This record gives sequence, C-alpha cells and structure tokens, in this order.
Amino acid sequence: MDDNKSAALICTCGKQLQLKYDFLETQVSKMNLASSVAVHDFVCQEEGLAKIAELLKANDGHLVIAACSSQKIQPRIDQYLKSHDTDSTQIQYVNIREHSAWVHEDIDQASKKSADMIRGTLARSAKAVKRSLEQKSIPAHVTVIGGGIAGIESALNLSNFGYKVSLLEITEELGGHVRSLPVVAPTGKSGKEILNDRLEAIRNNKAITIKTKVRVKFVSGEQGNFSIHYLSDDDEEKTLNTSAIVLATGFKEFKPILMDEYHYGKNPDVITQFELSCMLSEGKLARPSDGAPIKEIVMVQCVGSRSEDYKKDCSKLCCTFAIDNSLELLERIPDATVRIVYMDIRVPFENEMIYKESREKGVDYIRGRVSMTWEHEGKTYVRVYDSLLDKYLEIPVDLLVLSSAILPADGILELSETLGYAVEDDGYVKELYGKLRRNETRRRGVVAVGGITRPQFVFEAITDAQAGTLMIHNELQGGTIQAIARGAVLNVDDCVGCSLCAQQCPRGVPLMIEQTEAEEADEEQKILFKAAIDTLNCHACGVCQSLCPSGATQLNFLSNDQLWSEIAAVLEDAGPENPITLCFYCEECSVSTIDIVGTRRMEYPANTRLIPVPCAGRVSIIDILKAFEHGASTVMIAACEKDRCHIGGNGNEIAQVQVDVARDILNAIGWKGNRVGMFRMFSAEPERFTKAVNEMVTRAKDLGPTPVHDGTAGKWREVSE
Amino acid sequence: MSQATPEKVIAPKRQRMLDMILTLSGLKEESTIPISRVKDELENLKKELAPLTDAILAFPDSYFEKFLEAVKKSNITAEINDRGILKESISSLEQALSIVESVSLKALNKILTDTLSRMTEIEEHKDVSVDIDMTSTMSTISDLISEIESITDEFEKAAETEAESARSELVTLAESLEETKGKVEKDPDSALDDLQKLGSQTRYGPGLRSIAQVKRGKREGRIDDARFNKLVKENLLTEINRGVILFILSKMGSKTVVQIGELMQTPSQIIQDALVTMIQRGEVEMVGLDGDAPVFSRVLTETQNSTLLMKRIVQQVRGMVKSVEGETADTMNEALGRLQAILERLKILGAYNEALLSDSINKLRETVDSVTEALLTAQTSEDADNLKLLISAGLEAFARFRLKITLEKGPTLVSGTNVYGEKLDPEVYKTMMDTYLDNELERGTILILIRELGALTVHDLAERTNIPSDRILRHLLRMKRDELLTIAGESHGYLLYDVPRTLSESEITMQTTSGLALQLSEAKGELQRILSDLKASDIGKLANALEVFSKARDKLTSVRVQGAVIDESTLSDVEDKIRSAVLLTYRTRAKIPSTRPKVTIEDLLDIDVPSVLDEYRSQMGYAPLLGFGTIEWEQSRCLGCKSCEIACPEHAIELKRRIEIPKLFEISDKALSQLPSNRLLFYKTVQNLATQKPSNEIILEKESPGFGTVEVDLWLCVACRICVRRCPGPEGGALELELKWSLPEVVKHITSTS
Repeated sequence: MDDNKSAALICTCGKQLQLKYDFLETQVSKMNLASSVAVHDFVCQEEGLAKIAELLKANDGHLVIAACSSQKIQPRIDQYLKSHDTDSTQIQYVNIREHSAWVHEDIDQASKKSADMIRGTLARSAKAVKRSLEQKSIPAHVTVIGGGIAGIESALNLSNFGYKVSLLEITEELGGHVRSLPVVAPTGKSGKEILNDRLEAIRNNKAITIKTKVRVKFVSGEQGNFSIHYLSDDDEEKTLNTSAIVLATGFKEFKPILMDEYHYGKNPDVITQFELSCMLSEGKLARPSDGAPIKEIVMVQCVGSRSEDYKKDCSKLCCTFAIDNSLELLERIPDATVRIVYMDIRVPFENEMIYKESREKGVDYIRGRVSMTWEHEGKTYVRVYDSLLDKYLEIPVDLLVLSSAILPADGILELSETLGYAVEDDGYVKELYGKLRRNETRRRGVVAVGGITRPQFVFEAITDAQAGTLMIHNELQGGTIQAIARGAVLNVDDCVGCSLCAQQCPRGVPLMIEQTEAEEADEEQKILFKAAIDTLNCHACGVCQSLCPSGATQLNFLSNDQLWSEIAAVLEDAGPENPITLCFYCEECSVSTIDIVGTRRMEYPANTRLIPVPCAGRVSIIDILKAFEHGASTVMIAACEKDRCHIGGNGNEIAQVQVDVARDILNAIGWKGNRVGMFRMFSAEPERFTKAVNEMVTRAKDLGPTPVHDGTAGKWREVSE
Repeated sequence: MSQATPEKVIAPKRQRMLDMILTLSGLKEESTIPISRVKDELENLKKELAPLTDAILAFPDSYFEKFLEAVKKSNITAEINDRGILKESISSLEQALSIVESVSLKALNKILTDTLSRMTEIEEHKDVSVDIDMTSTMSTISDLISEIESITDEFEKAAETEAESARSELVTLAESLEETKGKVEKDPDSALDDLQKLGSQTRYGPGLRSIAQVKRGKREGRIDDARFNKLVKENLLTEINRGVILFILSKMGSKTVVQIGELMQTPSQIIQDALVTMIQRGEVEMVGLDGDAPVFSRVLTETQNSTLLMKRIVQQVRGMVKSVEGETADTMNEALGRLQAILERLKILGAYNEALLSDSINKLRETVDSVTEALLTAQTSEDADNLKLLISAGLEAFARFRLKITLEKGPTLVSGTNVYGEKLDPEVYKTMMDTYLDNELERGTILILIRELGALTVHDLAERTNIPSDRILRHLLRMKRDELLTIAGESHGYLLYDVPRTLSESEITMQTTSGLALQLSEAKGELQRILSDLKASDIGKLANALEVFSKARDKLTSVRVQGAVIDESTLSDVEDKIRSAVLLTYRTRAKIPSTRPKVTIEDLLDIDVPSVLDEYRSQMGYAPLLGFGTIEWEQSRCLGCKSCEIACPEHAIELKRRIEIPKLFEISDKALSQLPSNRLLFYKTVQNLATQKPSNEIILEKESPGFGTVEVDLWLCVACRICVRRCPGPEGGALELELKWSLPEVVKHITSTS
C-alpha cells in the first residue's frame, strides 16, 4: 500500500509541557511522512477540535495527534467528530505528556524521545485505513437456561428490551429455590410473595415462551446464530435458534451424606437448612421421624463449606438463612429452643439486623463444632464442642439442621464443552473479568447470572439478571448490530488453514471451515480448511495476527506493515551511542499504569521508546526480532497480570511465549537472551513499571552494543561459506 | 523421528499385527526331514490304512439300506410338512447320486419326490367366486387417473423445456471433450490437464479424484509413462464420460443409453461400459424401460413423496386385481396398466412440482384403500390371503424401518462424528434412508411370502410380487447374508430360499440324513481317488476326507427314526476303524514337512508390507491395521500449528516442546520461498540477526503455539494418513507417509518383549 502523508498536530497542553516545541516542529516538518506540522495549545478545547476537523479534511483523514494520553483525549475527540459527521478512525495518537514530558527531567532528551515517537506514529498513520460502519441483522431472540429467580428476572427484563425470550426450565415448575423460602432476607417477604408478581407477569407476556421439563444437551453456533439442542419433556431432541444465551442454572445444596458425624440420610430428623425452609414454607412443623412436636433445634453452620474436603470457601448465604429460619421457627413455636453451632457468623449487608434480632429473641449461639450424632431410645442426641467454654455439651434434639454448602448446579461442565465458557476450579462459571466484565463469560453472547457464578442472595441474583440483560442488549442492540468493526479481518486467500488462530483465540471467534469442494479436486487428498472470522464478534486483541504464519488475519487498525514500519521509524536513530529500550505496552492494564507513572511525575530514563498495542498478545516474535534488527538494545513487553486477561483468555500468555522463544533463539544465535523481557502489572502499579523499565535500560547499558550495532549480525553465513 | 523403545508395552492392536507377520512370513517353522523319509512314511501309511478302508468305504451303503427300510416301515415322510425341507433333501440326494451309485439312495429319493408331488397336488385347489359391484368406484378411480395423467403431461412438458436449455451447454462440453480426445495420443500430459478442467465443469467427484491420483502417481514416479498413457487414454477418459453422462442425466432428465450416446456423439458401447460402474457407485439407477431399452436416471437425493405414494398404490392395486373377476377385473387391470405407466413416468421425471399432484393422488389413495378394505372383508380366498400378506408386509417393513431409525447410529453420525472425524452428510443420510425404506418394503413382502408358503425361488417370488427378478435376487442374497434366509435346495435350476424354521423330528432326520448322504458320497469319491495314488501333497485332503467320515458317523448315531438308531451295529463297528485311520493320517502328516519356505529375520527386509497386508486381508477378510507406515517430518515446511496432533485419531503424533534450530539455518532458499509470508519473515529475520550458527536445539519450557518438533510414535500409528492430509504446510505439507515399515525392527521388538 502506498504511504500516505499525515498532518501532525502537537499539543502544548496550555504551554505547560516541558518540551522544545521549536525543535519538535522543525524535526517533524523534516520527516518524510509529515504533510504539515501544527503546534496547538489546547487540542482538547473547542478551537483545537475544530483544527482537528480541518486537518482531517485536508489530509484525507490521516492525522497524528501528539498530546496527552489517548485514554483521556480520544473519547472527547471522537465525540466531537461524530457530532460533526467526520470520520475519526484513521487518527493515530502519540502520548508526549504522560509518556515523555512528565517523566523526563532532561528537556532535550524528552524532546528527542517525543520526536522519535511522533516519527513512529507517522509511519503507523501512513498505512492506516478507514474503517466504516458495518451492520448485521440477527434474530432478536434470547434463550434463558434456568427458570429460577435469576432466569425469570432475565426473561422479564429482556422482554422489556423488546427481545423474544425462550425460558427453559428442567423441572416442572418455575421458581427454583426461592419458591420454598419462608422468608427472603432482607425483605421479610416469603419466596412465594417475591415470585408471584413475576410469575404472573411472565405468564401474561406473549414475548416469553416457557418450556418446562427440558434438558439442554449442547449448543452450536455463535452469537447471533446459536442453536440450542435440548430434550423436551417427551424425550424428543429438538433445536432452538437463538442469538444469545443467559445461563441461570443456579445452585444445588450439598447433601452431607458422607459426613458421618451428622447421620444425615440415616436419621430422618437430621435435615439440611433448605429442607427446613421447605418444611417451613409448607407449614407442617413436626418431627419427620414420628410427627411429634418440635421443641429442641440445633443448627450446624459450615457443613461442607470452609472445608478442605468439600467446598473450600464460605458459602456466604447459610448464616443469614439459618438466622431467618430460626426466627421463623421461634415465631411458630414460641417455646422452642434454637441453638446455632457456628465457626464464624457472617451476615453481610443489613442482614446484621436480623442477627441482632435473633440474639434478642433468644437464639443460642455456640461457637464450636458437632463431633457426633447418635440415637438413643427414639431420641436424637448431638455432642457439641463449645470452643469458648472448652466444654463438651450433649444435647437431645428434635431437629438437627445442617447449613450445608452451596454448590454450582449440575451439568455445568458438560455444557461448557459446547457453550465454551470457562469454569473455575470450584465448578462455578468463570466471569470474563472479575472487576470489569462480571456477567460476561468467555464466549461472546453467553452471559451467566445468579447462583451459577457464586452463591448469591435473592436480591443479588436479581441485580445480576438485570446486569446480564444490559450486557446482552449491548451486544445484540435489539437485533440490528451496528458498529465500526474494529478487530481482526481475514484475507481468505492467504489463509493456509493451520487453525492456530482458532486454537488460541481467547473468545473462539475464528471458525475453521472445511473446504470440501477444493478437497475433491485436490491431488494429495488433502484435508483443507480455511478460517472464517466475523469481525463484529472480535475483541481486537490481535493474538490471531501474532500467530498467523501467513499474515492472513490482521487487525484492521494495526496491520503488520503498520507496526513494522512504526518499529523501524521509532528506532531510526538507535545505535551504540544511543542505546534504546523499546517497550510494547498493552492498552489494557499497562497503559493505565504508565499513564499513572506520568501523572505522578515518576522519573525514568529517557532512552526508552513506547509503542502501544491493543493487547500484549498482539506482539509476535517477528515484532520483537524486528526491533533488534532496527537497532533496539533491549525490548520489553508490558502486559497484564497472569490470569487477568481482559479478553478472558490467554492474550498475555501468548506474549509470554513470544518473549520466551525469542530469548531462547537469541541465546542460540549468539545474542544475549536477556535483551528481551516480559513484565506484568495491574492497572495502577506505577512502581512495577518504573522498576521494569529501569531494569531494561540498565541491561541495555550493561550488555553494550548489539551484534546489529557491531555489524556481526548475519556473520554466520561468511563463516560457513 | 523417534525410535521405538524396547521397554514399551506392546498394544493389543500391534500384537495382532505382529502375529500376522509371523504367520504370513512363516517365521513359525517346523524342522525339515529328508525326502526319502517322506516316501517311507507314505508307504507305511498306505499299508496301515489298507485293512481299514474297505469297511469305511462300505459303511454308508449299509447304513442307507437300513435307513430306507426304516423309512418305508415308519412312513416318516408323511410327517414332513415343510416343502423346503423336502426340496432340500431331494436336491442333496440328487447330487449325491450324481457322484456315486446307490440303490438305496435312489429309492429314498423316489419316496421323497413322490411325497413332494402329492403335497403340491393338494394345493391345486378350488376357486372361490366373488362378485362385488364396484362399477362406480372404478369409474372414480379411472377419472382420478386421467387427472393425474394430464398433470404428468404438464410435468413432462416443463422438463422438456428445461432440457432444451441445457443442450447448448452440453454441446460445448462435448466439443471440448472431443478436442481433448484428439490430444490424448500426442500429449497425454496436457490432455490430462484438459480433462481436469472438464472434470471441474461437470463436477464429478470420483473422476476428479482419480485424475488427481494419477497425476500424483506420475509425479512421484510410481506410474511409468506407458502405464500413464494407458490410464489417461482409457480410465480417465471414461471417468470424464461419466461426468458428462451425469451432467446429462441431471440437467436433461432420464435417458436411455442410446439417447445419451446420441447427445454425446459417442458409441453406445462406451456409454454402456461407463454406466455399469456408475450404477455400482450408486450414482445412476435404472428407473424404467423405453421399449426394450432401460432408462437411466441420476440417483436423486430424495424421492418425491408422490412417487412413493404412487408406488404404494400400484402395489395395492396389483394385489387387488387377483381378487376380482370378470368385468371388474378387466377395468381394474386397465387401471393398473395406466397407474403403472404413470409411476414409470414419474420415476423418469424424478423431480417435479409435487403440490400440483397431491390432491388427486391423495383422493386416489383413499379410494383404493376403501376398495382394498371391501375386498379384504368380503373374501376368504387364497388370493385375498396373498393380498393381506402384501399389505401386512408393507406395515411390517414400516414398523421395522421406524424402529431402526430410532435405534441405529444414523442420527448420531449426522450430528456427531466417528473416530476419524468423518461426518455423515444429512442429505446422504436421507437418501440412504429412502432407499432403505424401499428395500425394506420389498424384503418384508418376500420374507412374509416365504414364511407362509415355504421355500420359494426367485422365479416364484417374481411371479407373486411382480418385483423384477434381479431385484428379488439382490434382496435374497442380502437377507441370506443377514441370516434371515437359508438356501433350502433347488427347483428347476433355481435356488430355493427359505426362512430358518423349527423343524419336527422327522424333518430333522430327513434333512440330516440326506445332507450326510451327500457329504459321505463326496468323501467316498475323494478317498478312493487319493488312495489309488497317495502323494505327499494330498495328505491334508486325505485327513479331511477321513474326518468327514468320522463326523458323519458321529452324527448318524444321533439320528433316530421312531426313537431308534438305524444300523447301530455297523456304526459302532466302523467307529474304531475310522478313528485309527484318521490318527494314522495325522501322525504321518506330522512327520512330513510343510511346504513353507524357511524364513530368517534378514529375509524380512525384503517383505513388501502392503502386499502382505493385502494377502492377509484376502485370507482373513479383514486387516488389523489400515497399514504400516513410516512418517517423515520436514522441519522447513512445518508451521508448528499442531493440526496433525489434533487430527490424529490414534494420538500417535505430537508436537514436542523442542525447536531444532540448527536445521533452520540449513533450509534452502527455494524451500524458504515456499513458506507462508510471516513464517518466511521469521526465519529470515533470525538468520539476519544470527552471529553464529546455533549448534544445540532449543528445549522449550512450556507449550508454545507455533513452535516445536513433530514426533510420531510408530507403535501407535495406523498409517491412516490423516495427519499428512491435514498438514497445512507448504508444498503438500511437512509430513510424508511411506507405506513401508521396518520389519526387522518389529521382529526385534517381538523377540525382546515376548
């Protein structure tokens, strides 16, 4: 592609930046790829924005803005240009404030660095292409799997947003666990009361189709075109086409049959907390074994929870439920004795109130554990160790209630095989990103809400369902998806069908399509594949581009040529006297951290050059080696922390592989492997970045000139020939 | 490439394969003895057998004499009700009589044939007259038929117009084909290219594949020039003809051989030859007759429902015709004729707009149903029974069909995949099921007829069902293979087929005895022939013949006529003699060397494994492996993509965490230039940066997509070639499979582990 000249617009940030603007202006105006240079005091203000629009028009959209962090300025510029109907997709940003002026004492060096980075960005801009609005229509239909409170709430919300909804429930009735709760904290209402309005609304809603007694077998397709294969109540396999899926299969209560100390499953008077809830809801309060009245109740907390053998962590709900139920018991049987054997009472939020109330009403809290349960002459006894009194108590009970652990519903692993979401070690569905993308799963178009992601109170499940609905609405946009496609674009002709992209894409976007027709004519009887990528489904991390052996898949805003020419241009003046550390940083965690380094004016050496990439996974081994070829002394990648991939997968792991292999190869070919390094950071850890960058600059100095500087690179040919 | 490590436990699959090698290559060897000893041994045997043979040879005659008496006395033939058994016994006896003379067997045969003819006479029987007025119904039927006929006319007109438009396309095809034919002699290579182009125009898969195979064979030097020319001239040209034929059949409707020949301007003989294979491949089927010439059609992915319905109606009416008489029969026969004609025309049409037809055809079905019902309730004649049979056959077939669909693997093959990742096309599945239903209907009819009427021949069945006899034969053979039917003898040169039956004691007696009579006659002939001039190579046959005597004798001791064993004294008398004769023969055989050559491990070097496999397959009917192979991996073409590992059904191939980096510096410029762009750039950049050529390979700490070394575990590889086919590397991929396996390696392995 021909190189386009771009206008350069350099901002002085209200004449506040310590940079030599005259020098910058003359340097940049000498650059081949700059069509014009303008220095402006307030690019982010009205007049600056107008200047941008003017420059865009004059340069066919090719513009480099050297100003503050694009994280701050870009949204503003985009908004302005959008309202003025001007395309902003080709603008390239270079941060001369947080990444240069604010972090280097020496004004000459800071100016030099800024000039180099502007040159690099001009090169990137030269090959930028316009990205246009793309559109696709999909059925405005969502399927909710699970008819508990989260599922019901999702269905109602989705239908409010204008989607047709199929609500699939495995049992005969909607409502899930909530149906059997005598009282729902902190409302004081019963589960039935909470459900009734919703159930009525759902029955009267023509947009919602309820299917009960169905079991989902597997799912195929992708967002906008999922097929759900399920068994209907007469065991017939059916399919359902849908655009997105809400996973709301809820939780199941742990049945402590294997814990001998409780005699659960052997003694009918030993029940779980949820079984007590059911008993209370049904209204029949009597000893299950013989129907005798209930007077003595012992509840045991943390049965299975916080236990290495069963559920390692706290189940969060059980304390509140136990207190709720004990208050309910006391109300129905005023002369009953309720004892709660606990390890720690954990009642979050306003539930603390009912804890206080229960204390006042006489619920007896015993800190300790139950060591055994036995039956004697038709009566059940428990032995409790009270750790505060250091005493063993033997208590006759009419009812022993076990607050057992809350586990994810069955079938989650099986479904994950085709639904593609990740599952945590404890069996819950893994969220895409714990902090920022809670309800999304790794698979685009699949959200998980309610108890399937973690134990949740009823109100949390409802909030979750509402959030999930918004997530889906954000994706489906009511059935007409309109977006400026920003992501990987596949050139099918170049695709060799190696499937590396499909294997490694964090979101499973590339699909491998078998080329049956070409196979028919193939002389070698090859099994031929081509990838297919829906750019509108892509999250634009660039992992596929990094791995593609043929350059068939490339990000439409950062092609290989763009990055390679930027590397070359940035490093134009690099050499033995001017040892440069090149840093690729991701625009997720690293950019925030590096920006914070800037705002906090944390000093680091100025012989560093920074190149942004959407995700560290975009950096391929070729990019690293190219940097050395063009004279970099050391190369580093700044990336997100392990297991904290914002795309929900392995972006930074792919980067790590590139760095590791590059190190091994450098060592093998007569270089020093530690000229390349990988550094990870959370989004606000400025020290980690400065430490890393200092380390790499020191290495550059210590290791001295590279073979490229010495002219020994490529010498092996002469030796062998 | 990995070397097999001797401490590995041998997999059962591989063990079977090694056993196979041992057996076939004769590694299990007996020691040799000199020729003179062989002669002595044979002489000894002859001498020892002499006193025994007379008694042995005489025992069948004596037994059957006594048996005949017993049969006459007890009249057990009267207890035989199954005609199949009778026919079978008669056929065995006739065969036996053709080998040896025997008065008693002849007499026995006479008794049986008499019984049979008496049985058949009984069934020549009464006529039952029926008289139902059906004039009005018949006229309705006739009206409906006229309606359908006129619609079919419309269909044919529409099809004709479509064919017209395909004609010009065909002309160009035929012209370029003609041109290519001219080239074949002079320049087969470019002719082949032309053929390939033609092939892709007609989109004939098998043709394209064989062209590709020949090309590949030529390039790899497996096919010499002479053979190549011959293949291009004969086989591939025929393949292209097939493509054109299929083009004609699918675009221009069903045609006879002569019609196709005219359209292609090719002699009909060539068309005929090409068609035979296409029928075998299931691409073309015969759908009717035009005069005497068969009309062919492309096998449609789906038969129109109306055609199926029409077929049912025709079958039903055919059944009805036999149950009516007089004028009704005439009108009904006429209707049947017209319906059959329509059915033929619909079949030839193949695809048509069903909606136009559905009304009248549904009405017709209802009317015919009501007539059938009337006939069924009104009659009790045998013909009505036949009609009932036909209808219940249909029902049975439908029921079985549904059951099969729900039970069998079909649906899972469509939705899932088998172990080699193959998936069944739902369309193909549908076709399979349609033909399956068709076949099941006919098979059901045949089975029920045989079950009710006793063993029948193809001829009988064709007469009763009006299904063409070749189809019947196919069904019979299929059902025989499925063990639904057995061969129950012969009648007028036709084989009799029967269902396996539970037999009465008399029937078993007659069946066993006559069967043994045949075996004994054969064995007797064989024994006499061998003993007249005993040779070393006949020793096995001698043993076999004696074994037949021994087994037949044992069986005869269990045959009882009215509770008594026949000729017990002779049987027990001859027992010892037969046994010692058998033992003597075996002992001698053990002293004579086998004819197998002695094989050493070194000889195994020259064993051509594929041919060994073929031999094994032809002997055993299966092969334990797809093949043996040695897989070579070429680093310079590998993209490290792991596709081979993912595709391998046996987990035999793996991308190891190792980069053989020294080899990266030895890749030729030409090989480099074939690589995908980024891969090329990667290697080039590494080479540009290097100050020295690396000497050690790189061991990677963890799995690294895009990097690694491919290793094949030959102990697991079944040489299915899937990895080779899947490899996306340049120039046909990084993997190459040679269907040759180092046998000494294998043998070393066996001897070290077993």
